[in-house]
Amino acid sequence: MLLVVGALVILGLLPLGIMLGKTFFVDDRFTFAVYEKLFANAREYSAPIGHSLTLASLTAGFAIVLGVPLGLLIGKTDLPFRRAFAVLLSIPLLIPPYILAVSWFNLLARNGLLSRAIPPGIVELLSGWLFGLSGCLWVLASTFMPLVMILTMVYLRAVNPPIEEAGRLIASWPAVFRHITLPLIMPGILFSGALVFLLALGEVGVPMFLRYPVFPVETLTQFSAFYDFGAAAAAATPLLCITLAVLALEHFCLREKIYRLQPMTPGTRMLHVALGRWRLPAFLAVSLLVAAIVALPLLALITASLSPFAYPEAWSRAADSLGRSMIFAVLGASLLTTFGFFCGYLIHHRALRFWRAVDTLTLLLFTLPGTVIGVGLISLWNRPATSFIYATAAIVILAYLAQYTALTSRITMATLGRIPQSLDEAAQMAGAPWLARVIHVVIPAALPGIIAAWLIGFIFCLRDLGASMLVYPPGQDTLPVRIYTLMANGAPSLIAALCVILVSVTLMSLAILGSLFRAAVNYR
Amino acid sequence: MSAIELRDVSKAYSGRKVIDAISASVACGERVVLLGPSGCGKTTILRLLAGLEVPDSGSISIDSIEVAADGINLIEPGQRHIGMVFQDLALWPHMAVFKHLEFALRYDKSTQVADRPNRILEILEMVRLADRAHAKPGELSGGQQQRVALARALVARPAVVLMDEPLSSLDHELNLHLRGEILRLHATLGFTLIYVTHDREEAAEMGTRVIAIRNGKVHDDANMATTTVTG
Repeated sequence: MLLVVGALVILGLLPLGIMLGKTFFVDDRFTFAVYEKLFANAREYSAPIGHSLTLASLTAGFAIVLGVPLGLLIGKTDLPFRRAFAVLLSIPLLIPPYILAVSWFNLLARNGLLSRAIPPGIVELLSGWLFGLSGCLWVLASTFMPLVMILTMVYLRAVNPPIEEAGRLIASWPAVFRHITLPLIMPGILFSGALVFLLALGEVGVPMFLRYPVFPVETLTQFSAFYDFGAAAAAATPLLCITLAVLALEHFCLREKIYRLQPMTPGTRMLHVALGRWRLPAFLAVSLLVAAIVALPLLALITASLSPFAYPEAWSRAADSLGRSMIFAVLGASLLTTFGFFCGYLIHHRALRFWRAVDTLTLLLFTLPGTVIGVGLISLWNRPATSFIYATAAIVILAYLAQYTALTSRITMATLGRIPQSLDEAAQMAGAPWLARVIHVVIPAALPGIIAAWLIGFIFCLRDLGASMLVYPPGQDTLPVRIYTLMANGAPSLIAALCVILVSVTLMSLAILGSLFRAAVNYR
Repeated sequence: MSAIELRDVSKAYSGRKVIDAISASVACGERVVLLGPSGCGKTTILRLLAGLEVPDSGSISIDSIEVAADGINLIEPGQRHIGMVFQDLALWPHMAVFKHLEFALRYDKSTQVADRPNRILEILEMVRLADRAHAKPGELSGGQQQRVALARALVARPAVVLMDEPLSSLDHELNLHLRGEILRLHATLGFTLIYVTHDREEAAEMGTRVIAIRNGKVHDDANMATTTVTG
């Protein structure tokens, strides 16, 4: 277990510490010069910071307003095709957010798909709306809304049926929702809102593409345009502080309440609400939403890519990046699953006194902007002695591990929470040592969750842009990075074709691996 | 000689005492039932004996060897040579019956590797599950699952077997039937049995001695041959 903590320190704490440390040294002399420069330009930075906070707050608000009702409808009612809706509405979360921005651009731009069907005045209006805060908000809210929806569905499963049944004896379902169900899962909903806030705060691709100046872009610009490492690290500091402040708030106000939201034991059936005469209207409303935030942008993307040369050119320019993306994602997911399992095990069993610190650190790394993680990793590994890591694909894998361990560790924790403690104790009574119990009892019992963690890890590695854009070694870019760099001067049809390839690969992998996962679970 | 001895054992959770300075001794081969209402501390006593919990104070001896004293487990659960049937049975869902028993024997130093298959078949015969050796728990009936849990607890021939309300989830008929099976196995193998229940009738049938627990203390300790329990 101490090995796990050591690895986490090397992956996350040390890079961030060294990154911060380096901001205080210029030419090997201790100085505040970097921060003096940063504060001297405070007025210049206050607007981007304000933009970042506005965008993140509005995105979190919109995601909650949309995601909670959807989570309730899909997770708690007899809505027709609710599983299909859950999958379809989760698609935006599975693809890099900037691809959705490209899709909406293909739909709403002056010469976009809609311009052929609607009057120029409206096209002009929509096109103007797309660039700036409104467009960023729409794209990011539709990207991160599924997170709130999924977490709402998960936390609904933590509400024990008798609690709601007792309410049903004295009130109708809407009143039970308002006074019993929602207050019970409110800490979970607020937690999901905090997550969306932090993820939107760190987002770089969408604001850059839709020309809304936000603060994380500053870090990226300082590093990639001016190669001013000190300034990049200093520019990352305010984001680190905001993330820490939000996580501290989450820690003190929500954490214990969220730990209490344990999933029901297997076999317990959740109560479902019959929608009655609202079934059809609810179905139509959700279908409309699916069309608006999933089908329409993807259709626009596919239409924009339909040029005779787009796909051959896309293939010739990005086949190697696609191959690398797949290999890195498989490696990253496998390591994330292993590492996340042990982190989750440590946190679930509170195996070390500082288990809470491990949980908080993984969450901090997940919510930190990828650019901050990237700068941190460069601070630590960019030295001659560690070039075998920094100059190779290993640095990309380390970035994945640093950023996404929270995902696999949280899935492990949720899975372990559903396994009766007595299974492990029975093996303990038989004299099995810890590792044997983990290998022969815990892992087989947790296998569905472990496979799910691998799948989620794979998808997030495949879509990663923020950290990998900063750390990838020369000639080793991934497909999202290649698309992003081509966006500056590539033909729109080529960009659209590349985006379609990335989305297709992601969804096909998910479909294939998902069906293998179901087969494995059914076999058990 | 005492198979089990508890001396002034106390245990608290979050400041609330669930076991309050309990002392008791159990002779070899005895069948002792811990009887009491939910939350009175019966399961905690079993878990302390098994080594799954550590007493805050007092000491526990098994076969005259001190296994826990004053907040420290001197001997780990797997080294105490105790079998246990859990309330929820705790069957490993991915392992077939045979594999369950094989795993339970793997870390038992007193059984030679070559003897394991015979030992497993022998216990499977005893619990009448020889024909279901390759079935997984999900493929078994409630009564058969109960027998697997029994077989797993007994396969390493422990001197002491702990049973935590093992029949509480079964219907009355099956419950009665399995009580007989447990008594038969006890008569055959001669282990010391500590059996937890909240059912007086079950207690009277299963124990040669019944210890009534109330609020973490021994309320009554009665030999079934001579006395009536007042728990």
